[in-house]
Amino acid sequence: MKKIVFVLVFALAVISCKTDDKKAGATNKTAETAEIPFLALGEFDAKAGEFVNKEVKVKGIVDHVCKHSGKKVFLVTDKGDVHINGEERFDEALTGNEITFTGIVVEERIDEAYCLKMEEDNIKSHKEGASNKDQYDAKMKMIQKYRDQMKAENTDHISNYSINYISHSAVE
Amino acid sequence: MKNLRKWSRILHRDIGFFFIGTTLIYAISGIALNHLSDWNPNYSVENKNFTTQINLENNASVKNNILLLLEEVDDKENYKQHYYPNAQNLKIFLKGGSSIMVDVESGAGRAEYLKKRPLFYDVNYLHYNPNKIWMWFSDIFASALILFSITSLFMIKGKKGVIGRGGIYLVLGIIVPILFLVYYL
Repeated sequence: MKKIVFVLVFALAVISCKTDDKKAGATNKTAETAEIPFLALGEFDAKAGEFVNKEVKVKGIVDHVCKHSGKKVFLVTDKGDVHINGEERFDEALTGNEITFTGIVVEERIDEAYCLKMEEDNIKSHKEGASNKDQYDAKMKMIQKYRDQMKAENTDHISNYSINYISHSAVE
Repeated sequence: MKNLRKWSRILHRDIGFFFIGTTLIYAISGIALNHLSDWNPNYSVENKNFTTQINLENNASVKNNILLLLEEVDDKENYKQHYYPNAQNLKIFLKGGSSIMVDVESGAGRAEYLKKRPLFYDVNYLHYNPNKIWMWFSDIFASALILFSITSLFMIKGKKGVIGRGGIYLVLGIIVPILFLVYYL
């Protein structure tokens, strides 16, 4: 009996040593706000190229938090949208709230090699049962859309911009 | 060896009892989250279609009109935010994660009501390591699983133990993930 009590006390002592909560969706880090440019979502796609690897602020309504990973937020306004990528899970309760996010602009280049890799991964994951028919078809459609867009714009790549999360605050 | 067997049984049994609840949490949420493609493990979704005559075009009085709509189809107290994904559609966010999408031209709308799934919502929440306290607790649990594996090698002696039937099961259990890796990796 003494040994059981000892094990329990030890376990509780270990747990109580670590008590800080750093979940992405529930934390408002006190980030330096001065000098951080604000990008309206309506002009995000047009201007993001100038801010790659730089810190920016964006404001919008959280349309949804990614169901699978929980680490992606889709931020929207009437005029535009952007994905926010976190390292930790976002709180689903953010959905429908107007939020200002601070983060680093990142560029993802989509070219033919990228499309081929996506195609290959999609076929593999569908074969393994990780995606259903609708998800498989939707991804194939998206890949074709990228190819059509590159062809229409006569370019070898498309730049997709998103934001790597640093902090957020609710809009009053 | 006798002492090792005795202590293996004691630790396996007593710590095993302690972690029965945690094992069930990870087992139930593990199955639930394995099938994300097939269902929403956190919420049950109820859809309700409706049509409205209220003008929901994007103008100065739209907020009031949205509240009028909510009085018709839900409750105006549930309003959170709204936006127009495109010129034809309006999306209204409600408290609790529910939402309404309306075609502003035809007035056809669809409300999607989310309701937390009892038990699943809670065990899934824990599965995702909601904070550092749970992270450390689940690390202790994972360590206990390693301990259970080791102690199980010494608990039973003879032909039912690791040098007999138990050993065959042990090898088979290792072969399954290896075969999977060989085939899929």
